[in-house]
Amino acid sequence: MERVGPRDRDGAGMMMLSRILIGAFVVGMAGGAAMTGAQEEDVVATLAPRAETLILARCSVCHTPDLVAQQRLPKDRWEATVQKMRHWGAEITEEEAGLLVRFLSARYHPGVPDQLPPLDSELRKAEPLTQEPAAEGPLVGVAVRGAGIFEHNCQACHGTGATGGFGPKLAKNPILKHEDLFWETVLHGRGPMPAWGAALSHQDIADIHAWLLTK
Amino acid sequence: MSDSGALSRRTCFQRIAFLLGGLALWRRVQPAQAEPAGVVETGPQTVRVMRPYDAETPVREFASYLTPNHRFFVRSHFGPPEAALIAEADWRLRVGGLIEHPLELTLKDLKQFERITITAVVQCSGNGRAFHRPKVPGVQWERGAVGNAQWTGVRLRDLLAKAGVRPAAKHVQLQGADRPVVASVPLFTRSIPLEKAVHPDTILAYEMNGRPLPLLHGAPLRVITPGWMADSCIKWLTEITVQADEAKGYYMQTAYRVPVTAIQPNSGLPGTSMVPVEAMVVKSLIASPGNGDEVGRGPVTVQGVAWSGESAITTVELSFDEGRTWEQARLVGEDEPYAWRQWQFLWKPKAAGSASILCRATDSAGQVQPQTTAWNPSGFLWNGWDRVTVTVQA
Repeated sequence: MERVGPRDRDGAGMMMLSRILIGAFVVGMAGGAAMTGAQEEDVVATLAPRAETLILARCSVCHTPDLVAQQRLPKDRWEATVQKMRHWGAEITEEEAGLLVRFLSARYHPGVPDQLPPLDSELRKAEPLTQEPAAEGPLVGVAVRGAGIFEHNCQACHGTGATGGFGPKLAKNPILKHEDLFWETVLHGRGPMPAWGAALSHQDIADIHAWLLTK
Repeated sequence: MSDSGALSRRTCFQRIAFLLGGLALWRRVQPAQAEPAGVVETGPQTVRVMRPYDAETPVREFASYLTPNHRFFVRSHFGPPEAALIAEADWRLRVGGLIEHPLELTLKDLKQFERITITAVVQCSGNGRAFHRPKVPGVQWERGAVGNAQWTGVRLRDLLAKAGVRPAAKHVQLQGADRPVVASVPLFTRSIPLEKAVHPDTILAYEMNGRPLPLLHGAPLRVITPGWMADSCIKWLTEITVQADEAKGYYMQTAYRVPVTAIQPNSGLPGTSMVPVEAMVVKSLIASPGNGDEVGRGPVTVQGVAWSGESAITTVELSFDEGRTWEQARLVGEDEPYAWRQWQFLWKPKAAGSASILCRATDSAGQVQPQTTAWNPSGFLWNGWDRVTVTVQA
């Protein structure tokens, strides 16, 4: 499917709008009877941007998403799994848990073949988890808040106290003095580090930066 | 008014375009996935989870008696501990609980105890989980979360004797230095019954296949409970606590348990009680030829391994007709109590085309490897007949 050009926007738009409406309807139905393959595809396509961002931001604090993608579970077992993870400290709201269960049970149910694509990074960039308020002057990071945000988002790779682990040590890392490079890396990723622009608000990133400067 | 309307409509279109683009991309990816991926196993390990690192050994490696350290399967709940926690200068093993004399030992202290070497199979309780139907949650291990290695260390009973176990003691709790990323996740705390802990073959190993224990395998010290599944073989061991009861917490009281009697799949939690996974069950694997291999019409050497928890392997049989008839393989090589037994069979294919080879083992206790394993909620102890499908050349 090609990107929609400006000229055919209206015609294509109508078609798409109807797909979206069908998608929304299917999402509403997902809790009930088993879906057809086409319905599942719609649920997956509709929910994927946000669900995959959540998986990357919340689940991969403790484990890579490959562990999620290899499961083939019915809805009740997905529910139990997501609740278990919340109980263990995954930062997932009730509403996010519901969305994840709908997505996971449509995409990774027992009828799906073993070989599926890994979570597709192309689907990841869409909806930010947090909405940015209109910019009101420069952001001031709060180090105390940054400590908690770091623990739940960054520590898995960058280690306790930012002393390094799977990812580089960030305490006293020269990148902290180059704020533009720091922001660029967090927002858009670098090498094996994924982009966090969709998972962290600008205030979150400023808070993390402020906290890292104290390390 | 109209401006903001146009804006939100544009935003809406962008979203729609994005979603459709994503859908198209997802669809485009589908056909490629129809081919069986993961069949080509060229690397030293088949990775199941990147972090924490969980990886299995490609079965072709099981043509050798000992599984090399760098190919040996890796499984942990949290990955290796921070380097500082297990650096030899600071590392200590503490023995406490229901004992007369608490111990705190350096690695050097530990090596003063008698040095013991045991060859033993270590197998993940979830090895073969991917074959259970209906599917169950967890790392989808196939055939290679198992290996056979030479473990060198000291007897746990020698340490416990020095510490002086009190009469009320019934269990020995084992704790490694590995920690979850998020503090609200339960620790991987396990215990074994005192009887197993004081068994002369239960050891604390600091060497694997003659080399210092590698980090991924529990450096500097891990537990080896020969004949038992690897959920008892705690890595990065730092604390031993002798106590009256089983370890508390998720990884002993909820996880790593199986129903005492068979239950219907997904029948809700079993009415039967759940007991800890302990001894291994009789099992065999075909190491060669590999799945999907092409073989000639001349005699083909089929070989593999077979093991059981607390009994010796007595026979290994192969079937080339989906289990209707079985032919006995020849047991070869080393014969040690807790190690696996190698076997060979000279196969003369009768016809060209696709052929399936099945194998099953029987142990001295009379356990026979079943066609499939009883379903259990966490998919433990899979030991169904092993199967390899090859193409016989015309």
